[in-house]
Amino acid sequence: MTEAAATAAAPFTAERKRARRRAAWRRRRLVLLLMSPWLVGFSVFFGYPLVMSVYLSFTHYDLLSSPKWIGLANYKYLFRDDPQVGQAVKNTIWIIVVMVPLQVLFAFGVAMMLARAKRGGGFFRTVFYLPALAPPVAATLAFVYILNPATGPVNIILSHLGIEGPLWFQSPGWSKPSLVLLGLWGVGNVMIIFLAAVLDVPQHLYESAELDGAGPLQRMRWVTLPTISPVILFSVVIGVIAGMQYFTQAYVASNVASGQASQAGDQTVNNLGYPEGSTLFYPVFLYQHGFREFNMGYASALSVLLLVVAFSVTLFIIVNSRRWVHYAGAVK
Amino acid sequence: MRRGVIAAVLVVAVLAAVVGATARSSAHAGTKADTITVWVGWSARELQGFKKIAAEYDKQHPEVNVKVVGGINDDKITASIRSGNVPDVVSSFTSANVGSYCKSGAWLDLKPFLSKDHLDVNVFPKTSQYYTQFNGKRCALPFLADVYGFYYNKKMFKAAGLKGPPKTMSQLTAYAKKLTKRGSNGTFKVLGYNPFLGFYAGNAPDLSSYAPLFGAKYVDGSGKSVLSKDPAWGRLLRWQKNLVDYYGYKNLQKFNAGAADEFSASHAFEIGKLAMMIDGEWRVAFIKAEHPGLDYATAPAPVDDSKPNLYGAGYVNGTIIGIPKGVKHKDQAWALLKYLTFNAHPLAQFSNAIRNVPTTKQSLNSKEIKPDAHFKTFLNIFSNANSKTTPITAAGNAYGTLIQAFAVKWQAGHAGDLSKGLQKLDKQINAQLKQAQAGGVP
Amino acid sequence: MTVAAAQPLVRRRPPAAVRRKRFLLAVANHSLLIVAAAMFLAPFIFIVLTSLMTNTQALSSHLWPSPFRWENFVDVFRQAPIWRWALNTMIYSVLATLGVLVSSIPVAYALSRIRWRGRNFAFGLVLIALMLPPVVSVVPLYVMWAKLHLVGGLAPLIIPNWFGDAFSIFLLRQFMLTIPEEYLDAARVDGCGELRILATVVLRLAKPAIAAVALFSFLYTFNDFFLPLLYTRENPDWWPLQIGLSEFRSLHQVQWNLTMAATLLVMAPVIVVFFLAQKAFVEGVTLTGVKG
Repeated sequence: MTEAAATAAAPFTAERKRARRRAAWRRRRLVLLLMSPWLVGFSVFFGYPLVMSVYLSFTHYDLLSSPKWIGLANYKYLFRDDPQVGQAVKNTIWIIVVMVPLQVLFAFGVAMMLARAKRGGGFFRTVFYLPALAPPVAATLAFVYILNPATGPVNIILSHLGIEGPLWFQSPGWSKPSLVLLGLWGVGNVMIIFLAAVLDVPQHLYESAELDGAGPLQRMRWVTLPTISPVILFSVVIGVIAGMQYFTQAYVASNVASGQASQAGDQTVNNLGYPEGSTLFYPVFLYQHGFREFNMGYASALSVLLLVVAFSVTLFIIVNSRRWVHYAGAVK
Repeated sequence: MRRGVIAAVLVVAVLAAVVGATARSSAHAGTKADTITVWVGWSARELQGFKKIAAEYDKQHPEVNVKVVGGINDDKITASIRSGNVPDVVSSFTSANVGSYCKSGAWLDLKPFLSKDHLDVNVFPKTSQYYTQFNGKRCALPFLADVYGFYYNKKMFKAAGLKGPPKTMSQLTAYAKKLTKRGSNGTFKVLGYNPFLGFYAGNAPDLSSYAPLFGAKYVDGSGKSVLSKDPAWGRLLRWQKNLVDYYGYKNLQKFNAGAADEFSASHAFEIGKLAMMIDGEWRVAFIKAEHPGLDYATAPAPVDDSKPNLYGAGYVNGTIIGIPKGVKHKDQAWALLKYLTFNAHPLAQFSNAIRNVPTTKQSLNSKEIKPDAHFKTFLNIFSNANSKTTPITAAGNAYGTLIQAFAVKWQAGHAGDLSKGLQKLDKQINAQLKQAQAGGVP
Repeated sequence: MTVAAAQPLVRRRPPAAVRRKRFLLAVANHSLLIVAAAMFLAPFIFIVLTSLMTNTQALSSHLWPSPFRWENFVDVFRQAPIWRWALNTMIYSVLATLGVLVSSIPVAYALSRIRWRGRNFAFGLVLIALMLPPVVSVVPLYVMWAKLHLVGGLAPLIIPNWFGDAFSIFLLRQFMLTIPEEYLDAARVDGCGELRILATVVLRLAKPAIAAVALFSFLYTFNDFFLPLLYTRENPDWWPLQIGLSEFRSLHQVQWNLTMAATLLVMAPVIVVFFLAQKAFVEGVTLTGVKG
């Protein structure tokens, strides 16, 4: 626009500017309207609890009287004197380090088999996916019964084969592996995602690799794995987050398994973590302090610690993933 | 489309209002009569017994409507008091928790009620008075007591040539070994005695039922934990582990896993899979209801060989009953509470029904009590001077949890040196007590 | 080479040796699949068998019920208020899913199809909220609900879902990003306001994602145990199915045959829904993984 034309068009541009500003105003109002539920939700159900947790972690609070400020006492007890927290942390680390890789490997393996199956793929897919639909409570109850050391079908079948079955949920050494078995039974979700990703790998990549003389294992290493690496990352992150929240199966299993050796109405027995604290995971431990004993201040300290760890670990995984995850289009 | 959305939102809003409004139990249901809710731990047959005496009260008092909820445990009690949805009268089987209930104010102080109605708590036995208060603050009353004794199968004793019940622990061990019949692969056709901590109530893993039999003291005069100093604990734990090892830890685990639930009709003792056991006095009623033909007898539990004078004693505790903080109908709640705990009639009737020990002198001697030879044993144990209950502390039953964690590890052989382990346990319990008393962490 | 490229590829039959190898590999693959499938189905079979036994049989070493006790399923209903539990679960799931949809769709739209300052920051906050284990926020939220006297019912479970759910927002946003702008522009040219575009065009185009979110939300709330445990455990009137199932064993003396029957009944609705909506299920799961 020339100088003259610009001045001649000045009121028009001003009019345009005003119109644009009004439009921008309307857009902002619209965005506010659309985002409003989440803005409220985020502040009330995310921001507020975070701040309150930090505050409560410096208090002694049992919900019967107002919070009493005790400074760092909760943290001192947590890091120095609590006899159980070490076991809770170790158990949670165990379940993450063991279950997540096993689940990913297992899901990937099953997906590869399914991808290769030409006939009946739909039937098998349903069979492998179905257990993932089972509600965790129901699945855990079923497994505790099935793995009952005396009368459960697994040990009965094993004894027919001449093998003495372990005590499963009644043994501190076998209770976590039993939970891992339960977890592997439910990999259907992850498996479906892997299946889709594996089927999505472009065929021509395999062909060119084959032409280059790559055998089946090398093809997997250099074609399949890199191409589905975003899905692997996704499963690992989801698995780690789930591991840090692992509660339901541990709670139900320890209650039911211990109920087989003692009784439910008599509450002098604390069943969480049965047997011998081997199923006492961090969230279960937090629940025990926060909602059985109502030491809400201490439970808040535990949750602050969990938050810090969860964040750091997730960040660590994602940042490190840049080294081995290839997103579509970046294939060498 | 938009109208559909608005309609849906309206429907949802209505539903949400319904949901929120009915979140609390309908205490406003009654028009003339006030509904008062009573929470008890009993279920099934025993609950019916309680409902009967509650119904009697209901009939006599048309101005209240008594609603009974059974199957309650201490978790639910603590949760409801915290969240504000409390019943009017609440009771618990875990008398050891009275310390934390009284200290925190979760259960109301009953002294003003008692003094207003000029009621004297000395009608209750000393032990029952002890486990319903803490540091002079009385927030509960006893409502039938429990005492632990010894049950043995007379038929099996006769077949094995044993005359009377064992009176010492070494006799118990010998009899147990004699009466045991092993099956194949480490199973047991008949188990003489199950020493496994955690198996049924008689083997409570916090060692509470065994402590009086060994004369074991929990705390010294200054309130410090003395598990490592009192040699009785060592004797107790060593005796127990020896018997566990004799049978085989894994074998016992398998036996327990295959045993029916303690309160089912297939209770191991009742169906003849277990020859002897320590159990509460309520078992008499269960056997009568489920296996009346069982040839058994009761006696006081055997005691430590070094303390034969303790014979006749047993572990005592009981149901405690009180009024929770935040109660809506305080006076009606107190009226019901007073009736249940001080009147001989409901105590005697309920005692007959579930065979628990009546907790007032009047009800103990009441004519309404139906005599029972098996049950009489327990009345004797209850009045024995050496029968003890577990200490009431500011931390409630938290020390029991610590003992339990150690004992369970010990019997599995995972606890290492016994005296060192007990010393560490003492330290943990003392730390916990200190924190609880100071109102600190956790 | 141009001549060869112009003609269609001729697939020659691979030599017999290669065919044999491929056949053997397929057989091995299939056998492994069958073994794995058998192990996956085994627990279901045990559950079904146990649910048809008598109590004493369930506690013995018998694997096959004799006789078949179909009354177990009736007994479950008689011994426990299953209908009430199911109703509670329905109230929770339906209201929560509705809430998730009503609150998350607009947010996802705003984060994907409208340009505004701070949009990326807001999305970052959604991602951060995604990574938060809910266990962390549980204590202060419980205190808040207790002070509001809403503990003991389903309100604390349902209400938060009406204020957006990070996962659903994430999924819907990712999907909405793939909607071609032309559709929206065409509507804009027709004079539609943004809200109407959302309500008509976007809603229709995003149906697969919306179906997936609805399905996941329903499934998640149906299976939810931790939050109902916190908020309804003390009030049996409001127990959803999962809490009821976990308490079923302690109320009625661990009768394993009935417990397994109850377990089956609780699993059944989800499996039925799955078979009816199989396609939506698999698509939805794939959506999360591939777009995530």
